[in-house]
Amino acid sequence: MHFFTGRKKVKKSGSNRRTRRGKWIARGYLFPSAAGVLLFFVLPFLIVVYYSVVDNPISGQFVFFDNFVMVFQNAAFQQAAKNTLTFSLTAVPLAVVLSLLLAMTLESKIPFKSQFRTFFLSPMMVPIASVVLIWQVLFHYNGMINEILTFFGGEKIDWLNSSYAQVVIVVLFLWKNLGYNMILFMSALSSIPRDIVEVAVLESATPFQIFWHIKLRYMSSTILFVTIMSLINSFKVFREIYLLKGDYPYDTMYMLQHFMNNTFNRLDYQKMSAAAIMMAIVMVIIIGILFLTESYFGKDVEE
Amino acid sequence: MRKRNGKHGGMVKLEENISQERWDQQVKRKKKIRNTRQFIRIMLGTFVAACFAILFLMPIILTITNSFMSASEISANYGQVFATTDTGGKVYVSDRVNLKFIPDMVSFSQYITVLLKSPEYLLKFWNSVILVVPIVGFQLLVAAGASYGFTRYRGRIKEMIFFLYIILMLMPYQVTLVPNYLVSDWLNLLDTNWAIWLPGIFSPFAVYLLTKYMRRIPTAMIEAAQIDGAGEWQIFRRICMPLCKGAMCSIAILIFIDYWNMVEQPLILLSDQEKHPLSVFLSKINAGEIGLAFAVATIYMVPPILVFLYGEDYLVEGITYQGGIKG
Amino acid sequence: MGKIKKGLAAAAGLMMLVAALSGCGKDRKQDGTAENGREFVYVPEYADLAVSCDYINSVTAAGDYIYFVGDSYSGENDEYRGVLYRYNLLENQAQEIMELDEKSNKNLSSMAVTQDGNLVAVFSKYEDVTDESGEIVDSKSTLELCRISVSDGSVSDAQDITEKLGNSEWAYVQYMCADSQDNIYLCDGDGGIYVFGKDMQKLCDIKVDGWVNSMVASKEGDVYVQFYGNGSGAEFRKVDLAGKKLGESITVAGGNGFGGNFFTGVSKSILVSSNDQVSLLDISDGSVEDLFKWLDVDVNGDYVNAAGELSDGRIWAIIRDYSAEEASFELIYLNRKNASEVKEKEEIVYGAMWLGSDIREMIIDFNKSNDQYRITVKQYASDDYETGLTQFNADLTTGNCPDIIDLSSIDFHQYASKGVLEDLYPYMEKSGIQKEEYLENILKAFEQDGKLYGIMPQFYISTTAAKASLVGEKSGWTLTEMLDFVEENDPENVFDYSTRTSIFYYCIYNNIDEFVDWETGKCSFEGEEFIRTLEFAAKFPEEYDYSQEREEGTSAKLRSNKLLLLQTAVSSVQEYQMLNGVFGEEVSYVGYPNNERKGNLIQPANGSIGIAAKSKQKDGAWEFVKTMISEEFQDELVSEHGNYGFPVKKSSLEKQFELDMKANYYEDENGVQVESAKTSWGYDDFSMDIYAATQEEVDGVKALIASCEKISGNVDNQLVNIITEESEAFFKGQKSAADTAGVIQNRIQIYVNENR
Repeated sequence: MHFFTGRKKVKKSGSNRRTRRGKWIARGYLFPSAAGVLLFFVLPFLIVVYYSVVDNPISGQFVFFDNFVMVFQNAAFQQAAKNTLTFSLTAVPLAVVLSLLLAMTLESKIPFKSQFRTFFLSPMMVPIASVVLIWQVLFHYNGMINEILTFFGGEKIDWLNSSYAQVVIVVLFLWKNLGYNMILFMSALSSIPRDIVEVAVLESATPFQIFWHIKLRYMSSTILFVTIMSLINSFKVFREIYLLKGDYPYDTMYMLQHFMNNTFNRLDYQKMSAAAIMMAIVMVIIIGILFLTESYFGKDVEE
Repeated sequence: MRKRNGKHGGMVKLEENISQERWDQQVKRKKKIRNTRQFIRIMLGTFVAACFAILFLMPIILTITNSFMSASEISANYGQVFATTDTGGKVYVSDRVNLKFIPDMVSFSQYITVLLKSPEYLLKFWNSVILVVPIVGFQLLVAAGASYGFTRYRGRIKEMIFFLYIILMLMPYQVTLVPNYLVSDWLNLLDTNWAIWLPGIFSPFAVYLLTKYMRRIPTAMIEAAQIDGAGEWQIFRRICMPLCKGAMCSIAILIFIDYWNMVEQPLILLSDQEKHPLSVFLSKINAGEIGLAFAVATIYMVPPILVFLYGEDYLVEGITYQGGIKG
Repeated sequence: MGKIKKGLAAAAGLMMLVAALSGCGKDRKQDGTAENGREFVYVPEYADLAVSCDYINSVTAAGDYIYFVGDSYSGENDEYRGVLYRYNLLENQAQEIMELDEKSNKNLSSMAVTQDGNLVAVFSKYEDVTDESGEIVDSKSTLELCRISVSDGSVSDAQDITEKLGNSEWAYVQYMCADSQDNIYLCDGDGGIYVFGKDMQKLCDIKVDGWVNSMVASKEGDVYVQFYGNGSGAEFRKVDLAGKKLGESITVAGGNGFGGNFFTGVSKSILVSSNDQVSLLDISDGSVEDLFKWLDVDVNGDYVNAAGELSDGRIWAIIRDYSAEEASFELIYLNRKNASEVKEKEEIVYGAMWLGSDIREMIIDFNKSNDQYRITVKQYASDDYETGLTQFNADLTTGNCPDIIDLSSIDFHQYASKGVLEDLYPYMEKSGIQKEEYLENILKAFEQDGKLYGIMPQFYISTTAAKASLVGEKSGWTLTEMLDFVEENDPENVFDYSTRTSIFYYCIYNNIDEFVDWETGKCSFEGEEFIRTLEFAAKFPEEYDYSQEREEGTSAKLRSNKLLLLQTAVSSVQEYQMLNGVFGEEVSYVGYPNNERKGNLIQPANGSIGIAAKSKQKDGAWEFVKTMISEEFQDELVSEHGNYGFPVKKSSLEKQFELDMKANYYEDENGVQVESAKTSWGYDDFSMDIYAATQEEVDGVKALIASCEKISGNVDNQLVNIITEESEAFFKGQKSAADTAGVIQNRIQIYVNENR
């Protein structure tokens, strides 16, 4: 697991004693956060682990991995896992690619750049509850989109109650998150050394080559960062779905968080915990892979 | 270091004998040829950006303009979507949905209800402020220390802890909410704002972001300071903090927006409804009151918008800085 | 420039932080006093009223004295006697001011105390208006304002004010106050406030736009009115005599919506007694100090007739016990004591979503009589059900759960299967209570895997009644049978007052097993039955228009087959007798549609409770639960009319039946014993006298009780929400029934999968 080891080794400078002292001080800086995280995040997670191996939190009988087996075989969980995975696998790459494209569009010298930037960021400011209101007006069976569809002679689509539901939430997700991602990319783009690009132009490199071989490599760490941020935000989209359709939406919108939320509401903490731990394991794997990829691609642009 | 050759393309290879003049000419010629093409591209780019901008802006504008509609206009426009069951008499409901940007008649009735007639909205708004502001402030403070700790003297164990932070950050809140309830109960924090504050303050989110930024500060800079005799506090205070100021602002905006919209934590951790923030109330607003919902939402949007307008430059600057050092 | 901006931002941020933190400090302090660290407690002390009367009216307080009218009825001469008393609360002594003449149809309607300690009062007088022949054609009421001297009871300055009150035809005074200038304020039930000066001349009238909840004089001598304004919600305003209008709305801590009765305060402006608690309101800053909860002093807040502060710091209250058949009044003094001085009882927490009034009564009785335990109540859903449920669940897992759990508004099966509830059979055994002494099928309703998780003291039966000649002699049917039956008969109305929602409750929610096979996890909402139900429900209105004129009553329509089914409850033999009368012929109680034809549903009356498995006070909790099924309590449930439900104890139920079969007699003029009607019952257009039940009728009720197996209610809200939300499109004609059913199937399938 070489992504754990820092690549930037601190050069031994000054006396060893001083370095050791510095190390302890640095740990001191870390301490408040570490203590808080331990108390409010690690400890709760350990409780989750405990819940996942007992039959229910009230009687607390130890049942080994029964819960995991039970949850894994549960049709609703399978559905939720499948949906969450499809959603994340569509929405996150789309968010990365589209925001990169947007960033490049804005980067080419178009007028009103900063205004556009503000506009793209505006969805972040809208309270979730009113986002949901607007989305309902748009995608309801009698909503705007269907009005437009029928105007052009199309058939009405029950957006929220059909397999199109995933499309709706992907659109919602993109709408909310493109702006911030775009800003991240814009700054990364602007930090690519100009002369390298100009030299490449002189060397008759195609725009695609420039993009692929220079820009993308310089931005690899930003891409990882945007991916992680999008992943976090893709989990947050649950709140919108929840406000749109409640605890039990149409099955294509049913996410792992629904499963956890509902099992939580019904006191089935053991199911919720088992699902959470499985999710955590998958997450460790995904993040691990992302880190590995980044350290592989991004190595040669950094020092 | 800039002229380092990439191993994949030879395009950066420079002929040593190209004179400065020829270099300039070549650049100019290429630029001319590209001028018209570039103009078209800019136009196209502007057009695409404008289209997106309209799409992106629509909900925010709708929310604001709809908040100036009277209840009857709202129910006439959206009756097909939000079945209003609470109205006693017959209401006019248009048989198609009207997404209107401009109210037929500007009415402040919703605002009058929200601001003057029912003080609970303002009270809840204040609750939101009380809950969110300390979280933003102290999470940044704690994160500043932690990310400094993560940045200096990196080692295997620290990297593992940092990885753990990332995983914890990615956990959906549903997972830790119940255990959090338990912990708060043990610490006797339930029903007090501390139950919201403390987990918020120690959230790994800001630590992750800030560490990302701080690690971009060139080691050479720190080492130079160290050689000049600066202690850890000086390095932290005089080098890292000023360099991360933009980043801190941008993170503050993100945290603010995130917590400004929280719903579930207060619902579970604060049983006293009088302490609930406005976001909880907004999420529970029912179909019969959508007119009110728009007005409340508009009011609720004011702080994020202010934070944004004030901090947007920092937001961009903070991020730009990240790249700025890299080159 | 930038520096200034930053400085400003920093200052603003700092201010917010400080404000936020200071806000937090205040919150915590409130918590501390309200929740755990109560410094003071109030201890009740009962006193007998020093007057003997059956009924107390128009209680008016001034300092340590109260004034009221005591009515007594003497059966011998069939006469009412009303006396106006002045009552010294400190010494518990009554002084008779004057006797009220009952014969003249004159009532003391309201009174107020002036600065000199004398009374101003309004008498209302009802007179029959007769025409020339002496027939009574109308009646009218007049109001008379006068002064009453406390020392000798003399009445002076009497004047007819009927005309001076706006709505003179039915003039009525609801509230009456006097301010520090001795101006007199009258408020009628219609939102009119009329002010009379010290000279008894009318000064002005002020119209309140809304429904007046209370008008009260504050300690400072001003008069305030609380009302529910039209459209603006609850408001609290001063009556501004100088401006002849209402003052600005006063903001009261915790919202202006607090209800209750208002009394002039002694230590602070106003004392507020809601059915929950007693608080003091300080007008100057709108702050509210909560003194105590009625439940904590063993008083049913609904029964409080009047309350106030005494100069020695005690609180007094006059309580009317409504649970007794005859009115009885008690005077209670509440002494404020240090918490440490009061003997601590072991605390048992009763957790409920909402506290039912019967249970509240039982808890108060238990607390009064039990020396070892004291029950405190934790109400979860007083504001919002969903939030309450979340809180309740969280409490269960953290282990600080209530000891006794009210099962009335929660899904009993879910909690029982999670191990939340304690098996009660061992406790019954320990206490020597035989389960055979109770109706088995009713006990079994709260049974799961042979364990008893809950108890109800009393129950009634939810069912559907139809003519036996139409539906046949049966005690249950399936949904298809029911729909077929309706189609065959095609009546004008299937149900009375039904809406789509109630049809769903009828056909689906109480019959969910028909659509969900929990074994295999298959749902069949796409099947024919559900689609038929949707189409069936579509024939009913979304909301019943109660304002529409009904040509015929229920009974007439049932008899003429214009109405087919009657959803009803059977809670007593008398009700059963009446239902037979409504139909006018033999009735079949077919119940709700159910795939096993077991659709007569048990409905707990008087609450249903269980003990938490994690409780640390199980024995104490059982002490309370036990009382519900004790012989004594069960026998108390037996009553002449028996109209609240059947007791679960067999012997008590038999006693009830015996009582129902016992005839009342009277002696007619020839000295012959004739059976007299025990009571009369009515249903819509129908009414009948009830005589002693026949053996046949009692057997019918017994059979009906025996046919019950399932407990009603506890439908998961999730299902209701999904079906209500999705069926909307079908009812509006936008989607076909099949499409709608498809979506419902899809969403419910997830629910079912998840729950398996």
